[in-house]
Amino acid sequence: MAVFRVVTLIYAAVLITRDHNGYAHPAAGWLALAVMVGWSAVTIIAYARPAGRQPWLICADVAVCAALVLSTRLIVPASQINAGAPTIPTSWAASSVLACAVAGGPAGGLAGAGVIIAADIVERQALPQATFSNIVLILIAGGVGGYIVQLGLRAEAAADHAARLEAAIAERDRIARGIHDSVLQVLALVAARGRELGGESAELARLAGEQESALRALVTGTAVVPPEGGQLDLAGLLEPLGGSRVTVSCPAGAVLLDDAPARALAAAAGEALDNVRRHAGADARAWVLVEDDGGSVTVSVRDNGLGFAAGRLAQAEAAGRLGVAQSIKGRLRDVGGSACVRSSPGQGTEVELRVPRR
Amino acid sequence: MCPDAELRILVVDDHPIWRHSVAAGLEEAGCTVAGTAGDGAQALRVATATRPGVVLLDLNLPDMSGAEVTRRLLAADPAVRVLILSASGERQDVLDAMTAGATGYLVKSAQFSELLAAVRSAAAGEAVFTPGLAGLVLGEYRRLAAGSAAEAEGGPAGSAGPVGPSRAASPGQPRLTERETEVLRLVAKGMTYPEIAALLVLSPRTVQNHVQNTLIKLQLHNKAQLVRYALEQGIE
Repeated sequence: MAVFRVVTLIYAAVLITRDHNGYAHPAAGWLALAVMVGWSAVTIIAYARPAGRQPWLICADVAVCAALVLSTRLIVPASQINAGAPTIPTSWAASSVLACAVAGGPAGGLAGAGVIIAADIVERQALPQATFSNIVLILIAGGVGGYIVQLGLRAEAAADHAARLEAAIAERDRIARGIHDSVLQVLALVAARGRELGGESAELARLAGEQESALRALVTGTAVVPPEGGQLDLAGLLEPLGGSRVTVSCPAGAVLLDDAPARALAAAAGEALDNVRRHAGADARAWVLVEDDGGSVTVSVRDNGLGFAAGRLAQAEAAGRLGVAQSIKGRLRDVGGSACVRSSPGQGTEVELRVPRR
Repeated sequence: MCPDAELRILVVDDHPIWRHSVAAGLEEAGCTVAGTAGDGAQALRVATATRPGVVLLDLNLPDMSGAEVTRRLLAADPAVRVLILSASGERQDVLDAMTAGATGYLVKSAQFSELLAAVRSAAAGEAVFTPGLAGLVLGEYRRLAAGSAAEAEGGPAGSAGPVGPSRAASPGQPRLTERETEVLRLVAKGMTYPEIAALLVLSPRTVQNHVQNTLIKLQLHNKAQLVRYALEQGIE
């Protein structure tokens, strides 16, 4: 745009130098040229930075160009204007239209073009063929120029966004690799050896073990993996539940389910594990097994804790206490599945959650 | 704790802190550490030179997959026992290494006493089954069954015969018996062999055999698949 402004400025200067002897006010001609040179310098410097492309400056730009077009009638004798003499700024005036197009897209470009065209018509007080062609050219410059600039800006923004995303993912992978190779290994080691030592070390080992699984879940990042065709991998949802007292066993591949049943199964399994922590005793361990037989998906949560007598669940239900078992059953019923609870004193508890596929 | 000082172990892990700590622990327990290696190629060289009885193999090696290392170790010495020691969250890698011929699988967060017991079992040729591995093996049989059912349905209709499409699978496709499925599910739910034996009124030895069979069938199938693939590709 700066190049266009400079080239058209030189063209205008050449025309003024050639024609100034015929002007009604040659001094005014030189003054107009000085204004154009000064204004060119101001806009080129200001527009160089995106922050400099302020709406008020662009309006001023259009106003200056329009004023110079109108000044032609004061400087050049009417006879020459009617004979088709060029305006004082000639094509230099179009540079403000381009500025509008850059800042405001096609609409801005057309608006700027409209003002300059209006000034041109007022100055000529007629619409000869040559002026009409110029008008069409200015309209095209404003509209199409604005459109192209807008497209370019959008493409640039999209490319910028993609590059940022790519960099973020690469950085995330790099950190995950680093954590996997160092911190996780050391935490696992502390967890394993601390338990051997017993006493206070065993407590530290337990903490290290919990942090290891939490950190592992974080860097394996199931949350950032986009669901495949709107489906969720149940194994990915359940694996973070594993820890020093909970073992999660799944098939090797992804266990894909629709969003609602997958989340219901994961939430129900989480509740069953909370229950193990609360009621099965301090030493209880739990195992989660995910099975996928194609027609349905089954999640079993078994613990080796205290267990309870067969009638107790029914008693609690009859007494109107809606226990965790009821909430688990409710979750499964909502997605067309079922849950059953088996237990006997001293034999631990097993909760089996099943959801049919469609 | 390790009664057999003749038992020679190779520790393979790309992480030096882990490698040295496990090696030191094994030595303390009275085992002989035949060597350590930080990648697959080194593991194969050290194994050739030192002939270990058991290889403790991490799956996360920089140069080759755990399955590849396992296959090559067994090709060089069919008597070697490979015990996979891996971080969780690498399920397909674990399954690949197991079907490639590994004897057992432990997670890295297992207690050291569990690791020693696993090394001893592996040295005796017994499959080391954790609940996680049982879950993987169950899943793999289901995947194979689903694959062959889909194949049969897509194949010529006449070949299925009166027994229905699911029975039309090739006879070479490994299947679990009902008892094996039952035992494997209980292992996956955390029950020990004695507990399962008591529940099903079997001897613990029978339970162990059932579990072992499920793995051997998968490994044979895998080997047959590799041979078939090699023949199809014209590799001698």
